[in-house]
Amino acid sequence: MWGVVHTGFGSWDALAWILFFGIAAFFLLWFRSLGRSDYKKGTDQDEIFWSSNVVPEDGAHISVPADAAYWGFRKGMEPFYKGLVGMHTGLAPDIVGWYVVVVAIMSVLILIV
Amino acid sequence: MNWTDHLPALLLAVPLLGAFVTPLVSLGGKMLRNTLLVVTTFVTLVIAFLLWKDVLVSGTAVYVMGEKVFNLTMPSGMKLPVRIILEADAFSAFMALCGAIASFAGALFSLNYMEGFSGMKRYVSLYCLLTVGMLGMTITGDLFNFFVFIEIASIASFGLIAFWRDKAEAVEASFKYTLVSQVASMVLLLAFGALYGKYNALNIAAIGSLLKFGFMEKIVLVFIVASLACKCGAFPMHMWLPDSYAEAPSGVSCLLVAVSQASLYGLVRVCFSLYGVTMGASFIPWVVILLGLASMFFGVTMAVVQHDIKRLMGYHSVSQVGYMLLGFGVGMLVLSDAKGMADYGFAAIQGGVFHMFNYTMYKALLFLAAGSLYYTTGKRDLNDMGGLARKMPYTTFMFVIAAAAIAGLPPFNGFVSKLLIYESSFAVHPSLAAIALISSVLTLASFVKVFQTAFLGPEQNAFLSVREVPSGMLAGMGVLTVVILAVSLFPSITMSYFVEPASKALVDQAGYIGAIMGGGM
Amino acid sequence: MIGNAPFFVVGLLFLWGLMAIFTQKNLIKIAMAITILGSSVNMFLVALGYRTGGRVPIHFLEGDGGPMVLPTPQAMTLTAIVIALATTALILSLIMLIYRHYGTINVDEVRRLRG
Repeated sequence: MWGVVHTGFGSWDALAWILFFGIAAFFLLWFRSLGRSDYKKGTDQDEIFWSSNVVPEDGAHISVPADAAYWGFRKGMEPFYKGLVGMHTGLAPDIVGWYVVVVAIMSVLILIV
Repeated sequence: MNWTDHLPALLLAVPLLGAFVTPLVSLGGKMLRNTLLVVTTFVTLVIAFLLWKDVLVSGTAVYVMGEKVFNLTMPSGMKLPVRIILEADAFSAFMALCGAIASFAGALFSLNYMEGFSGMKRYVSLYCLLTVGMLGMTITGDLFNFFVFIEIASIASFGLIAFWRDKAEAVEASFKYTLVSQVASMVLLLAFGALYGKYNALNIAAIGSLLKFGFMEKIVLVFIVASLACKCGAFPMHMWLPDSYAEAPSGVSCLLVAVSQASLYGLVRVCFSLYGVTMGASFIPWVVILLGLASMFFGVTMAVVQHDIKRLMGYHSVSQVGYMLLGFGVGMLVLSDAKGMADYGFAAIQGGVFHMFNYTMYKALLFLAAGSLYYTTGKRDLNDMGGLARKMPYTTFMFVIAAAAIAGLPPFNGFVSKLLIYESSFAVHPSLAAIALISSVLTLASFVKVFQTAFLGPEQNAFLSVREVPSGMLAGMGVLTVVILAVSLFPSITMSYFVEPASKALVDQAGYIGAIMGGGM
Repeated sequence: MIGNAPFFVVGLLFLWGLMAIFTQKNLIKIAMAITILGSSVNMFLVALGYRTGGRVPIHFLEGDGGPMVLPTPQAMTLTAIVIALATTALILSLIMLIYRHYGTINVDEVRRLRG
């Protein structure tokens, strides 16, 4: 079969996945079609609900910026990120320094083990 | 004598010719120059394809420069090969094909993307030179030649990264890359010189047949592995990579991905074909595995917090290189252990090789998509974007495919190679696979962020006049999309024709040496 | 022992160049450090090919006695010199552009790309 890859432990079947997505899409569209279609177009029923406020004209005011994404994750991992971002100093000699340090450590270790 | 015998030489000659006739052809106007770029890269692609087909049918292709008979590697009375030899086995040809596809796509994309800029004849010239360097690294059979090609590629990329020289950041990124790349190259040359001093040969196969693992060889191996790992952006040495990938024009970032893969090819070639089983199963394999784990985890965690779209993708490159290093490291671990090799080692190498191909395709496509966003909006900061899916449906479609592939969502190709790597690294130790899985989850998370902030959301007033990108750029992205879809839908064909011969050629050290040194091995 | 003297010099030069990259703040001096690194490697290659009492490796110029010195490292060195020349020119022109954009050639102040 041209869609199946046997990995030695299991297998990967692209066709089965496509079939799965086809079936899932069928159910999705079916459930969607069960929704009500008798709402009145052009009235408030058609509007975005924006915490009862007037919806801003420009979409830029109601879109979520990238900085806000995963805020909690970054907050929770703050000590980790402080170290990691601090490592990227952006100084050219530091970049070379990391390379030299890695070469030095590897050279010493390969002679020991 | 058949003309297909000359394919390895033609593969280098065509883009080299393209690079040097560009200034002449540019006198004939813009149209002629653009045609030259596309024709050169396309012919290179065709040659790479023919070479790959030829290698698959009739075995390793050997080409001796300057000899009357093209494949006479050892003239009578010689114990070692003396001339410059190109050697393309299934793995080299695979890498050359993969690089040639990226080069062609980047060239198509550049036509429209770079339209409004002056100095385009230099761009085209350097672009062809970068292609030569990349292809040369993959098919050379000679260590010093490898150094020359790596330098050709480096020098061309210094120029191309700083192509927008009126932008301070581009010049800065280029300077940083120049510095670290020069130090790494000099260490590399030192290592090759040391090998020459001991074995009186520069040919990989010739040295490989003589090599004994002593003090000097250990240091040389460390130098080569560290330098090439630096050139392909493994973790603590990766800091030049997001800078330069982000600041280069997108068509170039697309090709730089292929160039970093050629460096990785060099690393793997040295480990498997030059050292092979003599390397031992303890230190270097674990170093490669650890570099891989560190790259994939720290690279992706850095990517999650980026908000510059191309910088984010640069950190993803670090992370993806980690997967390949993990796969190859696991393969090296069991190189001398036939049972482990049959159980999971070969699967790991296949995963690594397949991931190299997949990564080049989807990462090139992602860089091109990021370039399209920059072309239409003039912005790279994700905070300032939004709602672009309404304006650029084709770009969005191709971006989604590439993002799904890199995150390993079924049914796309990214998962097949990752699956092979997960399963085989699990057999070594479950924690390796666990780190790889966590990295994969974070990859998905950061691409969801890119997709949501750049493409979804309400229409923004700033982008009312944004239109879909011109057809040349769509064509460049389309080439890569078609390749990704084909590989995704026919994974078993890809595995049996592309990946398996390449992995077998990589593991078969005696075959690689025998093609040059004759049957005496 | 004295035969190994060139290799000690190579090692010293290499370390010297490497140290200069970390200790110097002036970009021009860093460029010089890179050139020193390249020169030390070139010297390594040439020293590798020398044979004691060796002759010129050209057939119509060879003198009497002794083996020929190896020609291959010399060819390699020539190539490496050309490459180093191209890189040096590029680094210097990049430094020129950096000075134009940043108004300084202090390496500590060229760090807009970080994090």
